[in-house]
Amino acid sequence: MQNARLKRKLMNELGGYLFTLPVLLGVLIFTYYPAVQSLIYSFFEYDGFVQMNPVGFRNFIRIFTLDRETGTVFLNTFVYAVITVPLGLVLGYSLALLANTRIRGISAFRVLFYLPVIIPGVSAGILWRDLFDPTFGIMAQIFRILGLPEPTFFAEASTSMATLVWTTTWSMGGGMVIWLAAFKNIPAALYESARLDGAGYFRQLFSITIPLSTPMIFYNLVTSVIGTLQIFSTMIIAGGTSGRGVDNSLYFIAVKIYNEAFTRGSMGYASALAWVLFAIIAVLTVVMFMSNRWVQYSEDNG
Amino acid sequence: MTQTVKTGPAAAAAIHKKARRKVLLKRALIYAGLSLVAVYLVFPYVFMLSRSFMSERYISNLPIKFFPNAEGFSLEGYRVLFVENNYFQYLFNTVKIMAINIVAVPIAASLCAYGFAKVRFSGNKIIFAMMMSTLMIPGTVTQVPLYVLFSDLGWTQDIRPLVIPALFGGGAINIFLLVQFMRNVPNELENAARIDGANMFQRYLFITIPLCGPILLYVAVNVFSGTWSDFYGPLIYLKSEDAYTLAVAIYYDCVGPRADLNAINTQMAAGVFMSFLPAVVFLVYQRKLVDGIMIGAIKG
Repeated sequence: MQNARLKRKLMNELGGYLFTLPVLLGVLIFTYYPAVQSLIYSFFEYDGFVQMNPVGFRNFIRIFTLDRETGTVFLNTFVYAVITVPLGLVLGYSLALLANTRIRGISAFRVLFYLPVIIPGVSAGILWRDLFDPTFGIMAQIFRILGLPEPTFFAEASTSMATLVWTTTWSMGGGMVIWLAAFKNIPAALYESARLDGAGYFRQLFSITIPLSTPMIFYNLVTSVIGTLQIFSTMIIAGGTSGRGVDNSLYFIAVKIYNEAFTRGSMGYASALAWVLFAIIAVLTVVMFMSNRWVQYSEDNG
Repeated sequence: MTQTVKTGPAAAAAIHKKARRKVLLKRALIYAGLSLVAVYLVFPYVFMLSRSFMSERYISNLPIKFFPNAEGFSLEGYRVLFVENNYFQYLFNTVKIMAINIVAVPIAASLCAYGFAKVRFSGNKIIFAMMMSTLMIPGTVTQVPLYVLFSDLGWTQDIRPLVIPALFGGGAINIFLLVQFMRNVPNELENAARIDGANMFQRYLFITIPLCGPILLYVAVNVFSGTWSDFYGPLIYLKSEDAYTLAVAIYYDCVGPRADLNAINTQMAAGVFMSFLPAVVFLVYQRKLVDGIMIGAIKG
């Protein structure tokens, strides 16, 4: 009897490690090893092949002093994140509220709202270039019809960031799906008793719906901050041949890291930049977790 | 007495009519709002589709037309794509990478998830924590050493960097979702199967996996859209033109150094061509996705 139990326990040990072996190896090979390597590279001048000279903190010093592009790329990325993260949350949430209306045909509207999200980034990128062409784009024509001043969109440094932010409004359906699921988890009884107490739509919204979806709001906030700071694909396409936009106005950190590593072959410097970005993301994440007292976790799914 | 009998129903009808009108008005306003938002969100893509069927001359005429007339209609954009360029080759390349991932990730991820959710062993918690920790490390940090690693291994000549990682579960999120789902699968069936002499692998394959259909489908769809629109990986690793995926081919042709697709109709056709399969998958799958049924199922 005891022997059988011991045997079963051993089988469990063996089986457990065997089943989880892929992910254990994957974590070690594809995350831990490269993360450590990257930190080491950041103290070297390294071309990715043979040349590897130790340079101490010189890469980091260069980021903050000699490299004139650093200020631009960090500023662009932060401005973009500071605008698009809250904008995306608010628009996605409002869209979900609209799509949550109980009305005939609402499913068809939800499909239409979500459609832009499934368009691959590269397709969307070339579409924005055409749509926002200052002469032959449909947006310029709409501006003309409405009697607005002649737009410049991506063609001028002063308007390219605003144009890029504008294009993000088309993907607000991405957040919608998550919010709709969150709304489903709110007990209907809460709304019933609120209605009996005479609460109107907005009272219910601010007293029930929003407070009870704060855990999801927080989750979305953290993931979109982390994701937005590393954004790459739309930028490099909207940014034109150089991937930087007019006068570096759309030059983002991730594109800069890509250029340093794969265009100039400065693997060490690119790694140092990546670690600075990592540090910023880590600090922001800690700050967000420390200031999450506004999040209301309910007892059952806390 | 007689008066009240007479006016009662009439007054009620009047009130009823007024209330009904109010409801109808409210409904009309909601539909108007929904339609307005839908038009705003969808018109760029309809425009892309419509412009892909216009002739180059028709496109360059001002003012811009939304739909082509008989004279402006042209398949030139698609001809350039398929006859002058190798877009079927790029489609095939993309499908190849996607197909390997879409098979390998659910298999590897479900094996790991079963270990975490159903097997009690000493390393369970620590390996799970290690896996979750990878979510904190941004991809920008690991990409340079990974590139060096893959090129040292001699893998950068082909698609191996884009498919081998799938064999290891394809990332923490998929495994995490599967673990959450499997934890909600009752253990009674497992125990009964064990008593009947089924070993651990048989219980995984014949008991747990058949119950995980919805979540495996969800993971597969995620893998599909992830690999289909992946731009960064192919951009770094695919050096030869024969191996290009749609994402990099379109980038190089429309924006980057090759610039083979100068005409707007061809660029739009390329965009439509790349979006076609995701749109089909989405339309087949939309009810489950958009109504949040899948995510509800995950949260259990």
